[in-house]
Amino acid sequence: MDDDLPTPVILTELEKGVIEEIKEHGGENIDRCIQCGKCAGTCPVALAGFPWFNKRLIHALGLGIREEILDVPSPWACVSCNKCTEICPRDVKPFEVIFALRRVLVEELAIPTLTMEGLRTLYEYGHAVYQTTYPETRKKVGLPEKPPTTLAYPEALKELRALLRETKLDEVGLIPME
Amino acid sequence: MRFGLFLGCNIPLRRPDLEYALRYIYPKLGVELVDLEGASCCPTWGTMPSVDLAGWCAVSARNMCIAEEKGVDILTVCGSCYGSLSETRHKMLHNPEIRDEVNRMLGKIGREWKGTSQVRHGVWVLYKDIGLDKIKESIKYRLDGLTIAVQPGCHFLWPSEVYVDKEKNPFRPRVLIELCEAIGAEAPDFSTITDCCGTGGLRSTNLEKSLKLFERKIKSIKEEIDPDLVVTSCSSCLLQYDGSVKILKEKGRINFEIPTLHFVQLLAICLGANPDQVAGLAVTGPEEVIKKIRGEV
Repeated sequence: MDDDLPTPVILTELEKGVIEEIKEHGGENIDRCIQCGKCAGTCPVALAGFPWFNKRLIHALGLGIREEILDVPSPWACVSCNKCTEICPRDVKPFEVIFALRRVLVEELAIPTLTMEGLRTLYEYGHAVYQTTYPETRKKVGLPEKPPTTLAYPEALKELRALLRETKLDEVGLIPME
Repeated sequence: MRFGLFLGCNIPLRRPDLEYALRYIYPKLGVELVDLEGASCCPTWGTMPSVDLAGWCAVSARNMCIAEEKGVDILTVCGSCYGSLSETRHKMLHNPEIRDEVNRMLGKIGREWKGTSQVRHGVWVLYKDIGLDKIKESIKYRLDGLTIAVQPGCHFLWPSEVYVDKEKNPFRPRVLIELCEAIGAEAPDFSTITDCCGTGGLRSTNLEKSLKLFERKIKSIKEEIDPDLVVTSCSSCLLQYDGSVKILKEKGRINFEIPTLHFVQLLAICLGANPDQVAGLAVTGPEEVIKKIRGEV
């Protein structure tokens, strides 16, 4: 008769591994979640109709599900608004969990092309949002062609690049970094 | 009063009219702005924050080091920059492991993060440091008869834990409303006041979903308060509103246009700046509203 009972869900070593991985990447409070859903109720990603919003991702990760969410776009749709972190009654900091997941995905090279482009221009110019037409745009309103950022100071750009080479961006090898 | 002007990316490269407005209003109100030469992207959410926690903090800390060297606090009016810089500062202040790792990395380029410069939002500086009275007595044009929908922007509000300046209740923001009221406008509450504009990662991941979210909000604004103007404290919201109203109108999904200005641009106009220089790059034309403000109609 005992054989007919449903198998209880037991966290295997692998499942624990997923939670630990998220904690190591900055989502330290993930296991405080009680799935109350307040984060989902405030989440623009959920409201816009993405299927894997904060609450669901946290649930899946807590169960040790990893492969199935490697390629879903939802984690990259997070606007970083942090309304979830503000409202969470358990201090889970869902934003931190989503971003920890992004860091895990980056190590798996499961990353959207636009993110790659932002990283490339950050390394190349010091600006993640870069527009080739900026000198004309600036002239139009009567400002100097170059803003006083890395764009006007080559030494500062060199310094920023050296710093970026000290980070994990260099290890994961997403973009060329001479 | 003296602040280091942190420009970020969107303001100097896409909306330098807002940069012009920044450089116009603060000196007029007795605040000196100094450039943070060689600063970079904050870095924004889709870049280093998504790759490496300590690496995110390090790039951000390098920007703060430039302000520390000059002995000034940072002033920004971009929500993303304000959020990213404030969050990393908070992490470094409260997590010695991160701070040590950041300073190890910064050591390689001969820098050290000390934490002596605060990160301030320019709109908070107007509200708290300069004050409503000083603003009221400095303006040339008042906004009597004008109705404004305010868009404080997510990073003006949360997570409140990381910000130096906090709304009493971030779910019921008052600061931008009080600023607009101080210069004569009406700025009523509306039901979607703290809703996200739908830009950032959401827009770059799925433009249609982003537009749908924005459409929901702009329609509620139109229906509930029918404003002359949207006023925001975030440059990312500015880009989303200004560009998306135009797109939705052209697609026939809305049958109205409401222009959007950053509060800094609006104040520049009220202080007498040349509208072409401080708001000339808007695509959803604010010309009519500006004429009304300047008493030209």
